[in-house]
Formats: sequence, C-alpha cells, structure tokens
Amino acid sequence: MKQFDAEILENRPIAESWRELLLSWDEGAGEPEPGQFLTLRASSFSDPLLRRPFAFSGYTGAPSRNGLPAKSASAPWRATASLVYQIRGGATRLLSELAPGSRVDAIGPLGRGFGFPDADETPVIAGGGIGLGPLLFLAAAIAERAMAERAAVEARIAPLVALGFRSASLLPSIALPEGAVVCTDDGSAGFRGTPVDWISHNAPSGKTRLYGCGPLPMLAALAELAAERGWPARLSAEQWMACGVGACMGCALARAEGAGYLRACADGPVFDSTAIDWRARP
Amino acid sequence: MKPSLSVSIGGLVMSNPVGLASGTFGYGSEYDQLIDVDSVGALYTKAVTIEPRPGNPAPRIVETPSGMLNSIGLANPGIESFLAEKLPELRLRRCAVVVNVAGSTEEEYLEVVRRIESAAGPGIPGGSGADAYEINVSCPNVRHGGLSFGTDPEQVERLTRALRDITTRPLIVKLTPNVADIAEIAKAAEAGGADAVSCINTLVGMVIDVGKKRPVLAMGKGGLSGPAVRPVGVACCYRAARTVRIPVIGLGGIMGADDALQYFLAGARAVQVGTGTFVDPRCALRVLEGVEAWMSANSVARVEDIAALLED
Repeated sequence: MKQFDAEILENRPIAESWRELLLSWDEGAGEPEPGQFLTLRASSFSDPLLRRPFAFSGYTGAPSRNGLPAKSASAPWRATASLVYQIRGGATRLLSELAPGSRVDAIGPLGRGFGFPDADETPVIAGGGIGLGPLLFLAAAIAERAMAERAAVEARIAPLVALGFRSASLLPSIALPEGAVVCTDDGSAGFRGTPVDWISHNAPSGKTRLYGCGPLPMLAALAELAAERGWPARLSAEQWMACGVGACMGCALARAEGAGYLRACADGPVFDSTAIDWRARP
Repeated sequence: MKPSLSVSIGGLVMSNPVGLASGTFGYGSEYDQLIDVDSVGALYTKAVTIEPRPGNPAPRIVETPSGMLNSIGLANPGIESFLAEKLPELRLRRCAVVVNVAGSTEEEYLEVVRRIESAAGPGIPGGSGADAYEINVSCPNVRHGGLSFGTDPEQVERLTRALRDITTRPLIVKLTPNVADIAEIAKAAEAGGADAVSCINTLVGMVIDVGKKRPVLAMGKGGLSGPAVRPVGVACCYRAARTVRIPVIGLGGIMGADDALQYFLAGARAVQVGTGTFVDPRCALRVLEGVEAWMSANSVARVEDIAALLED
C-alpha cells in the first residue's frame, strides 16, 4: 500500500454512465491482485470530500519476471492500471471530467483479493452490472496463470464467465473475457435472465469455485447457490468507505454468524461467501 | 528564528501541537505504511471500552456537503484485547499516546482507566503506551453514556473528579458542541480536575434518502465532521479558551495549516486532525509543516504565543 500521484492516460465512456479509466504511475506501490482496489481523490476541494474506492479491472507492471531489474533511476518502470467505474454522484462526475494528462492522488493496492482456483477446480465467474470490473482482471489473471502453468498441468480448465446487464443497450464497449456469456434481464442480448440463473443451469458437475461481484441481492443469491452445491465461493462486496485502510470502521458488513462486523476495506472487499450475512440491510 | 513547536498538556510534553484525532486513526498501525506516524505530536487512540463493542449496524457513514456523518458506535475490541494487543505496539511510539476512554456508566470509565493504570505502570511520559487519557463524554452514537454525560455539567465534574482520584496522568475531557453553552461543560471539567479539554466532538446530524423515505444511516442519526463543522469548532474553542485556565485542544474540520491556525488564534494550545486524515493521510504532517512556516514568517516563538495575536 502506497500513496502516489497517478497520471490519467485515458478516461473513456464504455456505456451509459460507465467509464474506463487508464492510470499510470512509477512502480513501487506493489502489484495488485484481482479484487483489490485503489482509492482516488477526484478533487482538491472539500466537496466532494472523501476518497472513492475503485477496483482494479486490469494491471500491467514491470517485466521483472524476465530477469530484468525492476527499476532503474533513469527510467523507472511504469505501472498501468484500468478501473471501470459508474458515474453515481459528484465525485465520480468530477472524475469523469478529468482529461488525459491530469493527475490524481491514489492510495493502493488495498484490501484482500479473490485468490485463485486450485488446478482441479473449474472457476465460475458471475458479474452483475458495474461489478464486472474486478472480474475482468480476475478472468485475465486466471488465463495468464493457465498459460504459465500449461507445461505442468495437462489440461487446464477454462473458466465459465456469466455477466449480467439490464439490457443490450447497456452492454459496455470493453473486451469481455473469451467465451463470456452475456445475460440480460429483458433478453435483448444473450441469455434471458440473471447470471445466477444461467450458472445454476449450466454449472459443471466437478470441483468448482465460484467468484462473484455485483449488487447485493445477486451476491446473496450466489452465496445460496454456492451453499446448495457445496462450492467454495469468493464474493466481492461494496460498502461506503471513509478511510479505505481499516481505521475508521465505517464500511462495516454484518458477519454471517454471531454478532459483529467485518470491514469491507481491510477484511474484504472479497470475502468467503459464508463469512457475510448477505441478506442484512446494506 | 526557528520556532519552538513543543507544547505541554498537563505536564505531558508533545513534540509538536498537531495530533491525530480519536476514531480516525485506529490504534496507529493502520497508517504506518502511508505516513511516519511518530512525527505527529500525539496519537489519540480509537475509544476503548470495558467490553468489546461490535459497533452499529451498516450503513455507518455517508458523505455530506464538505463533511461526513458517521455512526460507528464506538466499535472497539475492549480493554482486554487493547491491553494484550494494542498497548505493546503503542509503547513503541515516539509520539505521545493519548488513550481515548468511553463507557456507558461512570464505573465503566473508571474500570478502563484502572486497568490501563495497572498495565502501563506509573505515570511517566514516554514508553508506557498511555501518556494521557482523553475522556469521551461526547459520542453521539451510543445509547448510554456518551452525550448523556457530556451535556450535564454535574456529571462531567463528578466523572472527572472520580478519574482524577485514580490517575496522575493528564486527563483531557472531550467536549460536545451539542449543548447550549460549551463553557459550562468546560468549567465543570476544570472543576473536576481535568488537565485540558478538547473540542469539538461531532455534531448530531441526519441525512434522509428521499427515494427510500428513510434515514441513510441505519441508526438514523450520526455525528457530523469535516470542514462543514470547522466554524462551529473554532467558535467553541474560542469560547472555552476564554472560560477556563486549562489548555484547550481544538479540532473539527482541520484540512490545512490555515485551519489549524484559526484554532490557535482562537486560543487552542494544540489541535487534532480527524476527517482530514481520511481525505489525505498526510494531512496532519502538512498542517504541521504549514504551521511551522507560518510561525517563522510571523516571528512567533512558541505555539502558545499565537492566541495573543488575535485582534477581536
């Protein structure tokens, strides 16, 4: 976790009220895992005041794996990250108006990520709405690992990806993971129904690990599906945050068992599906 | 001329007048990767209560115009866990450590302080992990204790006196602005033997979701903080500083050095940065730098000399 200035490379509309932000900075903040996030301060004024959290939807770091030095003083490696976000209020509106070349104050990588499936598990990925952001990163990272491990593993299992949108007109113009099934509420594109419906009819019979990010009712349904089928599941939750680093206790989510709360920022945002009471009032 | 930044609160010498407010900085370790925490004058811990408190249901926070509303509900691991897990870390701090204490009855406040007294040893500043106490009689987000103590001068005086009897460490009473006259409560704290008062805690506020026709926060009301409350904090500080002889510690909406200087001019001996840390973890250190530069530029030798410069 570091605080750093990031440069905006691109800030493009990808759907009605959705944007993709490309950021770049001198490496050194650490490499994010899928599911982790950054907080950004969209302006230096006091209104809007608080930083906003954004999950990584992609990341490219230094090619240090090739045995090259990670950094040199004359030409530090640049990290590049993509964040998919929705314009919801004043802060995201301001962010959407920042042009390439602008700089934003960033803190990250923050929180706990999705982790990865075991070699014999089929990863099943379910996204709803803007929740697709971190899942793009997860699907890409799973694919990259599969490539890297191909020598060791005979037949690596491809993930099943189902992404839900309200209708065809809201499909984002962004590359979706290979083979992703598009689900729409009104059937105007792809499968008519929710990703949960699709997965419950098309899920593999073997060992499976479920990943999800989307609105709370969807996460609740995914948690129930995982419990029914006996799948381990990792779900990414959303909650209002003030600090983003675990200090303020603002982003509480009710625990599934016993009294008490977990912090979306530091204990999550990705949790085991059994850890949270997904039906508690958000 | 290099100004002297150190300040003394009830005999506790802080290397500089800028502290990190209770409830915004955990117990310190959360921000270690982002700033040099030991460079601040004092770290005021998240409130400690006898029993562990899970805190209030969510949502607990919502942003407001130039501020935020919170209803955390004094979520903390309780004194047992504080002594076992937090106090050892706090002993390693080079800044002053002020333990914020809360309770729902007078006895609970006393018990927290007794337990820390026996664990932290004699009141020698530095290395004990608890150099002073800040008594939270002003939390708006709990049903018992909190505000109900802090709005009644008699209760404040009695509680302060009872605490005075069991500790020689500096006692700082944290005051609420949710009263008709903060001076009455400041006087009561002074009469009970407090070494300082800090003001202000948050203002009671509410945000209603018009679409859902219900309050946004699960508990309905919460405490307002951030730049929106700064003028209230400065006025309370001004009033308290003209009423009591003990030092006043100012907080409420400090985001930059000028904001802190308003509090010093209003009569504060020290300040705390709270919500500002959420917005920028480096806020307190920026404030400190700016205050030092201002003192140099204005040829002010000591922090306590700033208040005399106010023309009113």
